[in-house]
Amino acid sequence: MARRILIIGAGVTGLFTAKQLLEKGFSDILVVDKNYPGSGGSFRCATGIRASFTSREHVKIMLRAIELWPKVSAELGIKYSRDGYLWLLTRESDVEYFSEVVKFQNSLGVPTRVLTPEEAGALVPGLNVSLVKAAVYDPLAGKASCFDSVVNTLRHLLSRGVRVEWGVEARRIRRSGSGFAVETSRGELEAEIVLVAAGWGSRRLLETIGVELPIRNLPKHALVTEAFKPVFKPLVIDWATSSYIVQLFNGNFYIGADIPEEYDVKPAHKLEFLRKAAGVWTRLLPWLGEVNVLRYWTGYYDMTPDHHPVLGPVEGFEGLYVAAGFSGHGFMMAPAVAEALAEYISGGKPGLPEFERLRPERFARGELIKEIAVFG
Amino acid sequence: MIDPRKVIVCRCEDVTLYDVEKAIDEGLTDIELLKRKLRIGMGPCQGAGCLLVVASILARKKGVRVTDIKIPVSRPPIAPVQLKFFAGSRRSG
Repeated sequence: MARRILIIGAGVTGLFTAKQLLEKGFSDILVVDKNYPGSGGSFRCATGIRASFTSREHVKIMLRAIELWPKVSAELGIKYSRDGYLWLLTRESDVEYFSEVVKFQNSLGVPTRVLTPEEAGALVPGLNVSLVKAAVYDPLAGKASCFDSVVNTLRHLLSRGVRVEWGVEARRIRRSGSGFAVETSRGELEAEIVLVAAGWGSRRLLETIGVELPIRNLPKHALVTEAFKPVFKPLVIDWATSSYIVQLFNGNFYIGADIPEEYDVKPAHKLEFLRKAAGVWTRLLPWLGEVNVLRYWTGYYDMTPDHHPVLGPVEGFEGLYVAAGFSGHGFMMAPAVAEALAEYISGGKPGLPEFERLRPERFARGELIKEIAVFG
Repeated sequence: MIDPRKVIVCRCEDVTLYDVEKAIDEGLTDIELLKRKLRIGMGPCQGAGCLLVVASILARKKGVRVTDIKIPVSRPPIAPVQLKFFAGSRRSG
C-alpha cells in the first residue's frame, strides 16, 4: 500500500499502532513526537493493566488488551506479568459498593472476588490488616514494563523501515489534495492518513482543522523508591484515599496518590503529595517507612467528560483519526487500541463493537459512556 | 585497548561502556532512551555519577558536542530520603 501514514505522538499508542499497520501491509509510516518517544504519559505511568472497570466499554476493551499483552510482550521482549490488582477497603460503605462492582465484573467475565483482610495480608506481607475491612482481588490484572514497551517497539519499527523522528512538534493540520498537510517545527509534512495520538496536545492540534475535543489535562503525582527483591505482586489500591502502590519489575516501589488539582495547569511538585503518599502507605505498610524515596515526578491524565478515550475516525475528515483522552488508562489498553485503529485505517471496523462507542462525535451527540458508578 | 565490557559507566545499575555503545548502535540515540533501556540515572545516585559520562559517549558516537546533549531532568529529592520523614510532617501548604 503506497499511502503515507503520519502518526503524531510516539507514545505507546502511536508506536503500537505503527507496528499493527506494518503488519497490515502499510510501509510508508512516519511517527513524530514533539519531545522524545515515551516522553508523555507512557514513561510516567504506573504500568498497571486490568479489566476490572465499571463500564461495559472499558471491561470489553481491556479484556481484549489482556488477551493481546502476552503476545505483544513475547514478540517484543516486554516484561509483562499477571500479578493482580488488590483494592483495600477500609470503610463499610465501600464493602457494600464493591460487592455490586464485583457482580457487574463477574457478569462480563472478569474474575474479581472479595477477600478477607487475612487473605489480603497473605498477598501483601507486612500489611496492617487491622485497618482493612475487606479487599477485592483481580487475578487477571497485572503490569508491563512501560520502558520496554516504548524502547523495544521503537527498535522493532526502526529495524523495519518505519521512520520515527523526535523533537518534531506538529502545530497545524490542514487539508491538502486527497490528504493532509501538517505544519511542524521542522517544516511541512504531507500524508494521506494522519493519526493524532498526542494526549492533551491532540486537542490543540485538531482545533487547527476545526475539530473540538473535550480533553482536559489533570496533573498527577508519582514517586519511586529504591529497589528491593520481590515483596508483593499485585498493584495495591487504598480505595478510601485514592492511593496506590506497585512494586515494579526492577524492584522499586511506585506510589501514586491523589491530591486536589486543577485542570489544564502546569503541574508543580508539592509537599502535600509526599505527605499523603508517605502517610497512607506507612500506615498500611509500616515497614515502608524505612525505604528511601529516589524520585518524585508529575504527569497528566488527559481526561474526557466520561473518562473514556476519544478514539477512531474524525467525522467529516476522511483519513484523519484520533486516539487521545485515555483518562489515565492509555497504557493498559494500548494493544487493543492499536489493533482497532489498524482495522479502521485499513478500511474496516474494529472486531469489538464497543470501540464504535468511543468515536469522537459521541460528545456532540450527547452519547457519553455510562458507568455503573464512578470508580478508579 | 581496554575491554569495553569491563569499563563501568553506571555503578548503581552496573552498566558498562559496551552496553551503552551497543544501545546507541541499535538506534537509541537519545540519552532519555538510553536511560529507559539501561536504567542509567535511575539508581540511588540519580545520575550524578554517570549521566555526563553517557552524554560524552553519545556525543562522540553522534559526532556532536557534549554540550549539545540535553541531560535528563533531575527529580527531587536531591538525595534519597526515607519515606517516614515525609509521613511525619504536619506543616500545611
